[in-house]
Amino acid sequence: MHALRTLLRLSLLLTLAGSLACSGSIDGPTGEPRDDDPLDPIDRLPEYAPGGPVLARLTGDQYRNTLVDLLGSPLPAFELEPDTAPYLFFHIGAASTTLSERGAQLYEEAAQKAVEAVLADAARRASVLGCEPTAPGDACLRSVVESFGRRAFRRPLSEAEISRWLDASTEAAEGDAGRATQLLLSAMLQAPSFLYRVEVGEADPANEGRRRYTSHEMAARLSYLLWNTTPDAELLAAADRNELVTDEGVFEHAARLLDDARARRATQQFFAQYLDLRRLDHVERDVARYPGWTETMTRSMRSEIELVVDDLVFRRDADVRELFGAPRTFVNAELAALYGIDAPGASDVAFVPYEFDASSPRAGVLTTGAFLAMNAHPTETSPTLRGKFVRERVLCQTVPPPPDNVNLDLSDPSGTPRTLRERLEQHRRNPECAACHADIDPPGMLFEHFDSVGVWREEEAGGPVDSSGDLDGVPLDDARDLAIVLAEDPRVPACMVKQLFRHASGRLEVASEARALRALTEHFEASGYRFRELLLTLATSEAFRTVAPVEPVGAEVEE
Amino acid sequence: MSAPKKPKGGREVEKGVLEKARSFPWGPGLKPLKRRTFLRGAVGGAAIGLALPTLDAMLGPSGAHADGTTAGPIFGVFFWANGLPWHAGMGGETAGVTYPDLWTPTATGAGFAPSELLMPLARHRVSVVTGLEPKTEVPPNPPGQSDGHMRGFMVAMTGDRIRPEGFDHPSHTLTALRPTLDQYVARHAEFYGDQPSRFRSVQIGISEARFHDYGHWNAISYNGPDSLNLPILRPTQLHDQLFSVPDDLVALGRRARMMDAVMDDARALQTQLGARDRARLDEHLTHLSEIQRRLDLAAATCETPARPVDSGDVTAKLDAMSELLAIALRCNLTRVFSLMLTSPATTHVFSNLGVTDGLHKTCHDGLWDRVRVTQAHQMELFARFLDVLAGTTEPTGTTLLDRCAIWGTSEYSEGWKHGTSEMPVVIAGGACGGLRTGVHAREPRGNLCKAQLTLLRSIGLSEASWGWNGGETSDVFGELLG
Repeated sequence: MHALRTLLRLSLLLTLAGSLACSGSIDGPTGEPRDDDPLDPIDRLPEYAPGGPVLARLTGDQYRNTLVDLLGSPLPAFELEPDTAPYLFFHIGAASTTLSERGAQLYEEAAQKAVEAVLADAARRASVLGCEPTAPGDACLRSVVESFGRRAFRRPLSEAEISRWLDASTEAAEGDAGRATQLLLSAMLQAPSFLYRVEVGEADPANEGRRRYTSHEMAARLSYLLWNTTPDAELLAAADRNELVTDEGVFEHAARLLDDARARRATQQFFAQYLDLRRLDHVERDVARYPGWTETMTRSMRSEIELVVDDLVFRRDADVRELFGAPRTFVNAELAALYGIDAPGASDVAFVPYEFDASSPRAGVLTTGAFLAMNAHPTETSPTLRGKFVRERVLCQTVPPPPDNVNLDLSDPSGTPRTLRERLEQHRRNPECAACHADIDPPGMLFEHFDSVGVWREEEAGGPVDSSGDLDGVPLDDARDLAIVLAEDPRVPACMVKQLFRHASGRLEVASEARALRALTEHFEASGYRFRELLLTLATSEAFRTVAPVEPVGAEVEE
Repeated sequence: MSAPKKPKGGREVEKGVLEKARSFPWGPGLKPLKRRTFLRGAVGGAAIGLALPTLDAMLGPSGAHADGTTAGPIFGVFFWANGLPWHAGMGGETAGVTYPDLWTPTATGAGFAPSELLMPLARHRVSVVTGLEPKTEVPPNPPGQSDGHMRGFMVAMTGDRIRPEGFDHPSHTLTALRPTLDQYVARHAEFYGDQPSRFRSVQIGISEARFHDYGHWNAISYNGPDSLNLPILRPTQLHDQLFSVPDDLVALGRRARMMDAVMDDARALQTQLGARDRARLDEHLTHLSEIQRRLDLAAATCETPARPVDSGDVTAKLDAMSELLAIALRCNLTRVFSLMLTSPATTHVFSNLGVTDGLHKTCHDGLWDRVRVTQAHQMELFARFLDVLAGTTEPTGTTLLDRCAIWGTSEYSEGWKHGTSEMPVVIAGGACGGLRTGVHAREPRGNLCKAQLTLLRSIGLSEASWGWNGGETSDVFGELLG
């Protein structure tokens, strides 16, 4: 068995050089071909030049985390417009979508509500304000605009700005200091300077023609990437001292942030999007059809992934490729039952570590209930969805849409039950379909021993399950074989780097950033694929710290 | 107390159109007094909160006027997912199996006999237009833009194609090039004129099932590219949005004034940004001024219904939200709505009908009988929504449905092959006399945009043409217009 797997690994590497019939190249949103085959030498890539600035609005999580940092907790419940996640990532949605009117209204109401609650509590009021205003526009309120404004806007306010906010609150408050305070804080918390991160950079005196992010912009970039919240006092102070334009300064603070528990929370956010876990929220199954199914199952499935990620990245700081290949996981009682394993100590709420042995069919995240259920239908599995996930999410390949007016009917006119494998054969018989399904279905078939909720099965449609398939022409027996080859596949870490870069920059990479991505991937490899190290390398990299100029004023809107 | 003002000048309208507009009972503009104006005038500018008499001239945004004219037509969208059961006319025939057309009525013109699927809607004398399809050109790159879910949806809602730039079929990332019909009307100078309702529009969604969780699949209303209006999905949220006005109206006025500082901040930021982000902040500024206007209305709603109880059941939710919307329309809190029963390519499992899988997959599995049952059910729910509008009578004796022009459609004609020929088009309501009811117009391979232009004309808009990128038309279905 071991020898077979070594052989598989070798033959896989040999086939990597060849391109897929369907999904070989990865194109950007503008259709520019991008030369980022992970095996291509770095010096063949174009010279690095930074991408343009984006205007990111705080995501819902960032807004809530930030409000707690600014005002303390607890805060009253409030509703916000849901985030969108084009290309998988909330950060891309936050930097490209436009807020709706209702979204703006919800900000207005949330700010009113949160500020009202805080000001009604004497201790919290004193800690947020630092003084007690006695009249609109007094010295205390001026200091509030200055200090609260600096924390909320993540930069010092100009004298003109301070006067503007102060005067507006004086005018609207009609003589009452309490009203002025409420109006002031709630207005600042719905101000675009708070809701949006303006990061347009400045000329870099050491590099002519290059723009770098300012220290205050870097403080926000580091903090929202690594903590998913606003800079703390220490980071803001470093920005005030202009320390975040140097390698040492950025490194010191990035490392400090990564050592904090908030980095664990933020990292979970990335993995949940990269693995598209939100789709779990919409998984529903009929208990009559799947007797082990419970109301809490999808939550347990999500917790399992979170525990695996935290264990890999923070507790053990291990090779993150284990995500796809390692037999180590965490289960509670209902997951143990789903997997048919005995996990002492597991209960409804308690998760325990569990190591699948070598004879188990399970290893890695692609054999967890989360992946298997999310990529299946309510009544049957979907080798196509599962294969598509492997291609698109794990390997970052592009699977084109089906051709127009193709016959999508996989039903059987004869009425005799057939396995899904038999029905999917039609994908291969029709040459129009075969071009892509020959790439998607065979890796998807490897999961056929796992039903639509992730339970192991021996039979389908009255016959034994056949889970054989392949990846890029290398024949494999089952999902466990796939886990082993993916753990060694260089496309997997390259894909992870690309997705992290998108998440960090709030946009798709541009062609001139390919070299930076490759360099990150090489550092990642050199570090033994430790994700924490990748975060640190990225945060301190030129690609995260430099920016193209804002398009000139008067340029046409691209639409 | 001055007489209602004439509409402001500066809006050039063709003569013929103006004459047409005059013929409508609501007239082009009764300007209501602002409540604040009354307060200021009555008590010398001191801000006080007190119960106010409802003077006829103030009634503008709250229903019928003393002279019998109403607050004007209501524009609505009713959207259901996954089209219709397929038949040969849609290209849905395969070797050996012929499926009947359960949608297209046999006769055209007024008083047509309803087909099986239109039967529930017949009690509301809806009109249908059949034979239509999108005419927009499909750029070859990026690939996948011809997919019915996306192309059909965009044409049915905007009259234009998907924005090619940034389109990504694999991740289902797509956006509109321009506003959807509801937003086009809500911001049209000829619709609200200078007296918009408290809310220019309201977006409602019923089923929370979604094919993708990427935002663009959870909404049918766009202001423009990458600018979505996500629907309100829970009755309690809809209630709070429409009816929860705090008791302290004066405090709302102060919040309104403070919005000036927020808008100043937005304008200051804009100077640092590139064109695209400036446009995003422009939109944000527009929203802020709408919110400011709403805060500044400082008026309670004409009726505050009890806060409903949230339910996951589609029919119960539809009932609760229809009732809330009807009250809001009667109180003139808005005159534009969209109601998304199910989202494009929905994964909703109609287990109440014995269907075991999501609707999108059921279509792809070729389970025609189940699609027939499901879509008949969605039409029944459409009719149930219209029941509420038809059952809400205004002081003038007309019903809300008499005032409505409702665009009823789906993202494509059928879900088996994502076909877009023979798109479903239902036009419901009387548009204050602007629409004839109970008419079947048919134009095989006709332009879908022609039906949209017809609907826009029915509510008094003077659009000379409609449709873009191959969908352009200046024709209307005259037989539908009143």
